[in-house]
Amino acid sequence: MASTFNPEARLADLNHRRESGMAHNKCEARVRIQCSDDIMAARQRGRAVASKGGFSNSDLTIIATAIYEVARNIVEHAGKGEISISLIKDAHKRGVEIVAADRGPGIEDVSLVMRDGYSTGSGLGIGLPGAKRLMDEFEIASELGKGTTVRMKKWAT
Amino acid sequence: MNAANQMTAAEHTRASVSDCRRELARDYAVGLQRYLAERDDEPALARAHELGRKALAHGLGVLEMATIHSQAIVGALNGRLTSADKARLLDGLERFFMQALAPFEMAHRGFWEANVILHRLNDVLEGQAKRIAFALHDEAAQLLAAVHLSLADVASRAAPETARELQAARALLDQIEHRLRNLAHELRPPILDDLGLVPALEFLAESVSKRSGFRVTVEASIDHALPDIVETTLYRITQEALNNVAKHAKATHAGISVRQHTDRIVCSITDDGVGLNRTPAAAETRSRGLGLLEMQERAAALGGQFRLSGPDTPGTDVTIEIPLEP
Repeated sequence: MASTFNPEARLADLNHRRESGMAHNKCEARVRIQCSDDIMAARQRGRAVASKGGFSNSDLTIIATAIYEVARNIVEHAGKGEISISLIKDAHKRGVEIVAADRGPGIEDVSLVMRDGYSTGSGLGIGLPGAKRLMDEFEIASELGKGTTVRMKKWAT
Repeated sequence: MNAANQMTAAEHTRASVSDCRRELARDYAVGLQRYLAERDDEPALARAHELGRKALAHGLGVLEMATIHSQAIVGALNGRLTSADKARLLDGLERFFMQALAPFEMAHRGFWEANVILHRLNDVLEGQAKRIAFALHDEAAQLLAAVHLSLADVASRAAPETARELQAARALLDQIEHRLRNLAHELRPPILDDLGLVPALEFLAESVSKRSGFRVTVEASIDHALPDIVETTLYRITQEALNNVAKHAKATHAGISVRQHTDRIVCSITDDGVGLNRTPAAAETRSRGLGLLEMQERAAALGGQFRLSGPDTPGTDVTIEIPLEP
């Protein structure tokens, strides 16, 4: 997984798809993440975008929570990065996709950070593993010295 | 174990939880007020999330969060009861509360995941035990038999004195073979796979009885076949309990009882030994404690319960209750 990683290419790909109208992706919001105020902003934008996607109140909470966890991870481990939030749909369902990308130090062993308590030091199942459990789909790709991208989706029920 | 020290430690924990609970309750009430009052409400919601994380880290439970929330509502409703915008208020209360509970949701899902993994791990370990048991019982035994034959062959051609020595070596081989067979049975008795739980328990009772010198009886009423994982779990717990009896109890009799009810199966292992409180050595207590923990976890992995007789009753009573799918 790690060898194919390139955060810039991923974002470029996302932009390309948005501009060319390929798939049904529409990038609705993009937030630079650098400090805790940005985490709030990402939550707020995420909630605003998702509220157009037919999510219940508790799903909106889940989405904001997952955004908070990945944004916090960027601030704590990479210093800065970017989160983009888009409404997506496939043949049967609507949803929201959140991509959190940074050009921080990267992670040597991705499976390690997905282990409970590794990054939070608490083992309580919050942090990145917690975000993964809240969302329907969750991918993480990382390369040492280049950065980390988390891509996660939640489908409206 | 020092009971007095333990009490103090527990009280300390309780005291610090209640300090922390008070602090959280205060912060929660303030945060909720701010959320309801502010138009730009995301920072206040993020604060709810952080309060939830903190509560989780300090060992507070979901019900305590509910109490903290209701107390904060009382504060928030102060002077607002006449407000025309009650629906909006209720919506805000719900959102704030859900956000504070979100970390608990993450932890809860983690618990379910871990439980599934635990199940799978159990299966893997049983599979390994089966393979090792087979290797010991069948493969190693065959090799030993071959050695046996060669020795017999050599002995038949050797001088009488050498033949006697070879005979002694063959007697040792017999012992090794016997030990290996016992070990294989303890690892994973083929009888459990072939004949089921009750014959396996009877076999276990007999071999423990022979090895340890106290009487072990089995009393079972099972109407339907049990799922493999339930049989294995009950077998393992019984095995561990009997090991404990042999090691610590100084008993003359141990009884295994297995009863199947419509919705559950109850298995207990009792003995007439010295009971739990009177095994003094610390090392013993430790090794015993680990065994108990393992039994408890094996039962919990199937949603079951594990009960242990109190310290002041004579003998020991280990009871496991595992729910059965109807």
